[in-house]
Amino acid sequence: MLNQSCCSWIGSILVSSGAARSDPDPDPDPPVLLFDLISLLSPITLRFASIPSIDPIPIALQVQPPATMLEELLIFTRGGLILWSSCRALGAAALKGSPIDALIRSCLLEERSADASFSHDNYALKWTFHNDLGLVFVAVYQKILHLLYVDDLLAAVRREFALIYDPRRTAYDNDFTDIFRQLHREAEARAEEMKKSKQALSSRLPPPTLLAHRKAAPKVRGGGGKPSAASSANKSGDSSDGDSDHHALTNGSSLATRPAAVPSKSKAGKENGAPKDNGAFDVTRLQRLRNKNDKKTNTGAADNNGTKKLTKPDPTKKKGKQDRVWDDKPSNKKLDFTDPADERGDEVADRVAVIEGESMMDKDEDLTSDSEDEEEAQDGPKKKGWFSSMFQSIAGNNVLDKSDLQPALKALKDRLMSKNVAEEIAEKLCESVAASLEGKKLGSFTRISSTVQTAMEEALLRILTPRRSIDILRDVHAAKERGRPYVIVFVGVNGVGKSTNLAKVAYWLLQHNLSVTLAACDTFRSGAVEQLRTHARRLQIPIFEKGYEKDPAVVAREAIQEASRNKSDVVLVDTAGRMQDNEPLMRALSKLINLNSPDLVLFVGEALVGNDAVDQLTKFNQKLADLSAVPTARLIDGILLTKFDTIDDKVGAALSMVYISGAPVMFVGCGQSYTDLKKLNVKSIVKTLLK
Amino acid sequence: MDEWIRQAELWVGQAESWIRQQPSEQIYVAAAVVAVTILVLIAASCLKSSKPNTIVLSGLSGSGKTTLFYQLRDGSSHQGTVTSMEENNDTFVLHSEQERKGKVKPVHIVDVPGHARLKPKLDEVLPKAAGVIFVVDAQDFLSSMQAAAEYLYDILTKATVVKKKVPVLIFCNKTDKVTAHSKEFIKKQLEKEINKLRESRNAISSADISDEVQLGFPGEAFNFSQCQNKVTVAEGAGSTGNVSPAEQFIREYVKA
Repeated sequence: MLNQSCCSWIGSILVSSGAARSDPDPDPDPPVLLFDLISLLSPITLRFASIPSIDPIPIALQVQPPATMLEELLIFTRGGLILWSSCRALGAAALKGSPIDALIRSCLLEERSADASFSHDNYALKWTFHNDLGLVFVAVYQKILHLLYVDDLLAAVRREFALIYDPRRTAYDNDFTDIFRQLHREAEARAEEMKKSKQALSSRLPPPTLLAHRKAAPKVRGGGGKPSAASSANKSGDSSDGDSDHHALTNGSSLATRPAAVPSKSKAGKENGAPKDNGAFDVTRLQRLRNKNDKKTNTGAADNNGTKKLTKPDPTKKKGKQDRVWDDKPSNKKLDFTDPADERGDEVADRVAVIEGESMMDKDEDLTSDSEDEEEAQDGPKKKGWFSSMFQSIAGNNVLDKSDLQPALKALKDRLMSKNVAEEIAEKLCESVAASLEGKKLGSFTRISSTVQTAMEEALLRILTPRRSIDILRDVHAAKERGRPYVIVFVGVNGVGKSTNLAKVAYWLLQHNLSVTLAACDTFRSGAVEQLRTHARRLQIPIFEKGYEKDPAVVAREAIQEASRNKSDVVLVDTAGRMQDNEPLMRALSKLINLNSPDLVLFVGEALVGNDAVDQLTKFNQKLADLSAVPTARLIDGILLTKFDTIDDKVGAALSMVYISGAPVMFVGCGQSYTDLKKLNVKSIVKTLLK
Repeated sequence: MDEWIRQAELWVGQAESWIRQQPSEQIYVAAAVVAVTILVLIAASCLKSSKPNTIVLSGLSGSGKTTLFYQLRDGSSHQGTVTSMEENNDTFVLHSEQERKGKVKPVHIVDVPGHARLKPKLDEVLPKAAGVIFVVDAQDFLSSMQAAAEYLYDILTKATVVKKKVPVLIFCNKTDKVTAHSKEFIKKQLEKEINKLRESRNAISSADISDEVQLGFPGEAFNFSQCQNKVTVAEGAGSTGNVSPAEQFIREYVKA
C-alpha cells in the first residue's frame, strides 16, 4: 500500500512537470505518460521502500526487477511435512492457489525433476533436493520477473539447512529465519555484481553469432545450483559440437539451456562399432567420425542415431517426388465409388457373426516369475574403478556424486535407447534419476549400479502407473445411467491401425453386452467407409456413415445424435490419419473434438515408432490445446498402442508416449484379429525395459 | 602364538576327560535341556513376528493423511503439509497416550501417499497391516467419490486383507468445515459406488490384479457388513485435533 501511494505520488508530480514541459504538444495524452512513468518508477520506489539496507546503486531509469519479489521459499520433507516457510516466517502474503501441490503432481512425480523450472499461473518455481536427508527446497516467484539469484540462493539454503536439520525436530523458525535473510541478501548482492560485470563484458564483446544461437539446443544439464541461464548463450557455442547430431526437438516444455560444464563426453554422438549396431553402414556417420576427434564412447545408440540420419535425407527426397509432374494427369473427378444401394454387397458378404472367442483384454496375464538377475554392463570403463568401488561399497559411507552416477546412468540410458525409447526421453529420465540420487548416502554392500537401477525401476514404475482410472467399462456404465452414449474418438497419424483397433475395441465391448455404434468420420481415404462397413457387418453392429467428402465434425455430431436416439451405449468415431504438422487437418480434428466433446480421446500410436513419438504427441496435444474454444481444452486422454506383436522386446515407445503426454496406455493391440487387444502390464514392461 | 595354541589344546584335553568322567544320563539331560530351550526361543520369536502391529493410513491425495499422522504423533500438524512424495513411517507412542502412566506400547504407523502414481507403495505395506484407516475428505466428497470408491475397493479386495481379516476404519476427515457431509451419507454413497464397481469388475478379471476377491454377495446390493473383515465409519477433523475415533481404533487393534 505504501509503495503504491508513494509511486503514484511521485508519478503524479512528474506527470504534472512533464505536462508543463510538453504544453506545446496538441495532445499530450496524460494517462499514457502517467502509466509509462509509473511503470518506470515503481520498481525503483519499491526498491527504496522495501530494502533500506541495500547499497544505493545509481539508478539511471532502467527497469530493474525488484529485489524482494521472491514470493516464497518453502522447505519440506519428501513425506509432505512443511518444515519452514518464508511466507510465514517473514510475515509476507500467502501464495494464491497452490503452486507447490501443482509442482509436485505435474512435475516431480512425473519424473521431470531435472527441468529448469516450472510455471503455474503467474508463478515460476525452481527447486532443489537434498536426497540424503529427504528434503525439498522450492522457491516461488513471479513469472514475469527473471530473478537471477534463485539457483544460487537455493544451493546456499540447502547447505545451511542441512547443518541444522534434525529428523526429530519440526520447528525451525527461530534458527533459520535470520540465516535465510542473510543468505537472501548475499545472493541478491552476488546477482547484482554478476549482472554488472556481464553488462560490462557484453558491451566489449561482439554479440554472439547466429550459429551459436541456433546450436543452443535445449539440452538440460541436470542438477541444481548452477548460475543463471543467461550466460548460457555465450557458453553454448563451445559445447554445441555434439548438438548438431541431435535433433533439437522442441517440445514446449520449459527447458532452459544450462552452461555445459561437463564436456561433451556424454553427448553420445560418436559411435565406433558398437556391438549392438545392426543397421546398415551410414556414410554420414563416417563423415562425422572424420570431422570430430572426440573421445570414443561406447554407445548403444547406434540404431537410433542411424535411423535418424537416414530419415534426414528423406524429406528432401520426398519434396522432389512431389514436384514431379505426371504426363497423364488424372481428371479432377472424385474417385468415390460408394454405391448408395448396398444390397449387392449384403448378399455376397458373410452374414455370420464373428465368434472368435474371448478378447485378450479379459484374459489374465501369465506373469512368468523369472528371476530378476541384473545383467551387469560389462563395459570397459567400469573395471577401472572396480577395487575402489568395491571397497567403498563395503564401507558404505560413500556419498553419491554426479560423477559417480554418470557411468551407471549412461549405461542405463544406452540400454533404454536400445529398447527404442526416444533419445530425449531417456536423457530426461536419466537426469531426473540423477537429481533424485545426488547427495544420497549409499547403503553398505550396495553398488552404485544397483542403486541406480533400483531408482530407475521405481521411476519407470511411477511413470507407467496410470494417473487416473482406466476402467472404461465403469465409465460406460456411468454414462449409460446419465442416458447419453459414451463417445470415443480415435486419432493418430497415417497408417497406425486406427480402424483395425477400433474394430477390436468394438468386439471387446460387445462381449460385455454393450451396444456399440460405429461412426465413419474418415471421409478422406478411399475405402475407409467400406472398411468400417465390413467390420460393422461382421460384428453385426450399426454403422453411421455419410460417404466421402463430408465434414467429419458434422458427421460425428449426427452419429452421436442417432446413437442416443437408438439408445446405443458406446459410439466409436473413426477419423482420418493426419500428420502432426499439417495445420488445416489438425484444425479440422480440433473442430471435431470441440464440437462433439467426446468422453475419451484416444491417441493411436504404433509401437514401432521411434523418436517421432515425442513429436507426434506433443504436436497433437499442442494443437488441441491451441485451437480449442474453451479454456480447459480437451487433450489426449489415453493411448492405444498398436502393432505390439511386431516388436520383440523393444517396448520403449510405450514409455516415450506415456512420459511425453501423461496419458495412460489403455489398450495394446497385439495382432490383426478381433481378439488381439490387451491391457498394458506395467511390471513386465519395466522388467523388459531394464533387462 | 604357539604357547596359546598349546594352552588351548590343554584345555580341550581337560574338558574331554572331564566329560568322559560324568555319568552318561547327565549328559543326555543337559543336551535335552539345551535343545528344548532353543526350540522354545525359536517358537516364541516366530509367534511374535507373525503378528503385525502396523496401522496403514491410506486414502486419496489431499484427504488429510499426513496431517492425521502428525496429529497422532505430535498432537499438532505443525506448519501444514504438501502432497507427499514418499511414505511417512514411524513407530511412536500416541500423543494422547504419552501422559498415561505405566507401559504404553508404541504403535507403528505408515502414511502411504495417496497420489495415483504411487499406488504400488500401498501394495508393499498392506501385507504387514494390522489395521487400515481409510481417510476420506468429507468436504470435497462428491467430486472424488468415484476415485475414493475405487481405491477402497482395491483395498477391500486384496487377498491379504481378506484372508487376515484386517479391520478397516473409514475416517471422514475435515468435518470441522461447514460444507462437510455426514458420515452416514458418505457411507451410503461409498456403498453404492462399490456396488457399481463390483458389477463392472466382476465381468472381467483385469490383467494386472491377479488376486482379486469377490466382494459381497452377488445379486444383493453391497453393504459394508457383507465384508469378511470389519469395516467401520467414523468422523473427525485432522487439523483441529479431533482424532479420537482413529486413536480408539488403533488402541483396539494394536494390543497395548
